[in-house]
Amino acid sequence: MSEILENPHGNCALGGANATFTALRRVIAIYHSGPGCAMQTTAGEASQGSLRLPYYTSYTAIPCTNMLEREVVFGGEEKLEKHLEGALEILDADAFFVLTGCTAGIIGDDVQSVVQRFQAEGHPVYAVETAGFLGESYRGHEIAWNALFEHIVDKNPPARDAALVNIFGIVPYHDPYFEGNLEEITRLLEKLGLRVNTFFSHGQGIAEVKSSSSAALNIVLSPWLLKGLAEKYEKSFGIPSLRFAGAPLGATDTAAFLRAVGTALGKEEAAERVIAQEEEWYYRYLETGIGLQSWRRFSIVGESGNVIPITRFLANDYSFTPEIAICTDVLFRPADKAFVTEQLTNLEYAQPPELLFTGDQWEINQALARYPDAALLIGSTNEHEFAIAHGQQFFLACYPNTERLIYNRSCAGYRGALTLIEDIYSNL
Amino acid sequence: MARTYNGIRELRADTVTVNDWGGSSVAAAQQYPQKCMGRADRSFSQGLQCQQINSVMALLSMEDAAFVVHSPLGCAGCCSMANDWFRVGQIHRGSFALRNARVLVTNLDERDIVHGGEAKLRKALHLAWERYAPKLIFVFTSCASGIIADDVDAISTEVNEELTDTKIIPIHCEGFKSKVCASGYDAAFLAITKYVLADTPRGETIPGLLNLFAPPTVSYMDQLEIERILGDIGIQANYIPFYSSLEKIQKLPRAQGSTAICKVFADEFMKELEDRYGIPYSHTIMPIGTRNTDRWLRGVAKIMGKEEEAEAYIARERETYLPLVADLRAKLQGKRVFICGGTGRSFAAAALIDDFGMKLVGMETPTYDDEAQLDIENLNRIHGDFVLDVANMMPFEQVNLLKRLKPDVFIGVPVWAARLGLPTTHVLDIKRPTMGYRNLVYLGSKIAAQIENPGYNEKIAAHAHLPYKPSWYESDPFKFIR
Repeated sequence: MSEILENPHGNCALGGANATFTALRRVIAIYHSGPGCAMQTTAGEASQGSLRLPYYTSYTAIPCTNMLEREVVFGGEEKLEKHLEGALEILDADAFFVLTGCTAGIIGDDVQSVVQRFQAEGHPVYAVETAGFLGESYRGHEIAWNALFEHIVDKNPPARDAALVNIFGIVPYHDPYFEGNLEEITRLLEKLGLRVNTFFSHGQGIAEVKSSSSAALNIVLSPWLLKGLAEKYEKSFGIPSLRFAGAPLGATDTAAFLRAVGTALGKEEAAERVIAQEEEWYYRYLETGIGLQSWRRFSIVGESGNVIPITRFLANDYSFTPEIAICTDVLFRPADKAFVTEQLTNLEYAQPPELLFTGDQWEINQALARYPDAALLIGSTNEHEFAIAHGQQFFLACYPNTERLIYNRSCAGYRGALTLIEDIYSNL
Repeated sequence: MARTYNGIRELRADTVTVNDWGGSSVAAAQQYPQKCMGRADRSFSQGLQCQQINSVMALLSMEDAAFVVHSPLGCAGCCSMANDWFRVGQIHRGSFALRNARVLVTNLDERDIVHGGEAKLRKALHLAWERYAPKLIFVFTSCASGIIADDVDAISTEVNEELTDTKIIPIHCEGFKSKVCASGYDAAFLAITKYVLADTPRGETIPGLLNLFAPPTVSYMDQLEIERILGDIGIQANYIPFYSSLEKIQKLPRAQGSTAICKVFADEFMKELEDRYGIPYSHTIMPIGTRNTDRWLRGVAKIMGKEEEAEAYIARERETYLPLVADLRAKLQGKRVFICGGTGRSFAAAALIDDFGMKLVGMETPTYDDEAQLDIENLNRIHGDFVLDVANMMPFEQVNLLKRLKPDVFIGVPVWAARLGLPTTHVLDIKRPTMGYRNLVYLGSKIAAQIENPGYNEKIAAHAHLPYKPSWYESDPFKFIR
């Protein structure tokens, strides 16, 4: 059962699904929902991540049936049908996904039947149940991927493409650094001689989703997201998957990442060569900035996929001391919690931080108050208040973010590590 | 009480409310009084703003309050946005010890939808009180809580009896109940009437005190300017509800008069205050531009008995600022303008551009009612016939109209017009000033600067993606209104 949350660190299933679909090039989500869902989910998702808006449709440009009392009482299928006719007449897209809001979900409109008529006419229109009450943003992201798997992924792929890999686990527009991270990970994997389906960057979209079934490897950059999807790829197409606790950040975790991918694809030598090259480049920069910042104690609050890489990088590679790490995403499965705990506990030199799982602002603030000696607080806009009140340096790295515009700044790999150090210094 | 208003703007007994219409402004002004404008609908539409967003925006900066949103997580999306405005407003007011609004979301899930969410609401109310001991706890309903019919009023009343020194105020702002997002403002004020004013003693009238209702989109710079103008003619403002408090709300019955900065903000509430306490109100237009500022100020002065002072003030301001306006006029004369905005801003901006000799060629405004009729008649007198789209945004109609009308400048949310390469600017700037004489010059310079330097929009247009087929731009922009 879901918990009451103060100042939540996430949006609803509809928000997460919309963020996912609209990050695919030339894909349009059509809302079968109440008035307001389009604005609420855009305000609460994309524009709280990086302040950017999905380029094709967002906010009040999202096609929407705006279900009112009449539809609540009599049903909204007819209205949806009309809206789909209109959408197909005037909108130009590679695929349309009809997403249901709470109203359609509760009254039980048969969206599937409405959509079938258009599919029969050859239109790429698909129905996805995404009522907000089904869960938070992450649930929406998983629902979206399951729908993409069902409707778009090529079920009879040509032969395995040994040089193609898929990246999963980074929620677009929700993760403040999603695009920069995908760009950095792609840059590194391309150096291994691979081609990369990121789906949500580099202008990718439906074509890459379709071809994902012929990839040689799935790389999942999240401690717990999309486990079911990874199993489906394995079962249906024999594609194995490698899971990392987030987008790897800094020399240590990025080297481990490149080695693991190299080993999985028989590119061990290439991996070592790339690691050596990158480290040479990276450490030359670090050498020029010794002594600029002292070794700080820090607290960190955010989603586990952001908290783990940042904590591990600052602790293992930069000699900062983690005091407390708070994961705001909802982890239901004990195995997920165990994995996150292991990632944040097994640090090379540093004592492990206290670990807490909660998305409630009051509980977060109470926990942070136990560490008054922390000099730096890394978190979301929600935690800025605490940092100001307690005289701690604040660094904004997690959702929700209403104060930093982020295009493609990254928080991954070698380049992201340098950027993070620059940012923390500049924010002193 | 003489009036019974339930907070749904399209159900107001004293006016017809049209939300979906498109055509010539002269035709609109002719058809509406004859009741042949028709209450149509759009068979294709884009996302509206729901009334819950307006209820939240109106109240989230109340200083001694906590908030419970009885909904799934998504309906708190606007709280994060409103919290951003709240934080920016704190900085503008000189406080750098930024504080978040305290928002608890009941996070309704599938199980709650089936079994009801009342227990969670009860728990959230207790948590809000235990954590912050607020003087006010506002509860916002949602489509989900409304459809499953949780008894929010009963729970609020019950919990209120268990707690001391707090008032729990449920606000019925379920999105599906109204197409007009401004209904959410009314829902908030109705709840304030029922749960706060009902047991507030009237107290003695304070001479010179004016209830000044302003939506949260009015910047602090504008608040200062309006207070400066009023102070100049001997009126003190009780500024409600942005950065307001229980104490300020309880002071409402003691004012000598009421007015609003936005046309659809607190207009029904001011009628309520007149019915209850005999407090007269002035409901004119948003004070943007000379014509509008004069009209607004004269309206206020009349009910406050400050007419002479107001005239003197207007004369002084005109002397100071009209030469500056004339300079801008030289740059802006004859430029063709398209405006898209909320009810208050769109009408005010449309009149304002006349100060600069600019010509209105098209306008999008969310609703057409008796009040809009007066504004449209006024605009028809100023600008002659123009294209009117009664729409709350509907970007697909906007881009179609813009391609046809090819205005020299677009005033409104720039996201789509910029991609057509048009110079864009807006009069809704929650971080900067727009109102009164002084800020008219600021606004005019902003418009002139955009026309003079449209580089960003022109260059981005060459690479931009709008999701519409080329054929849409050849179609009747209003074909889906039926």
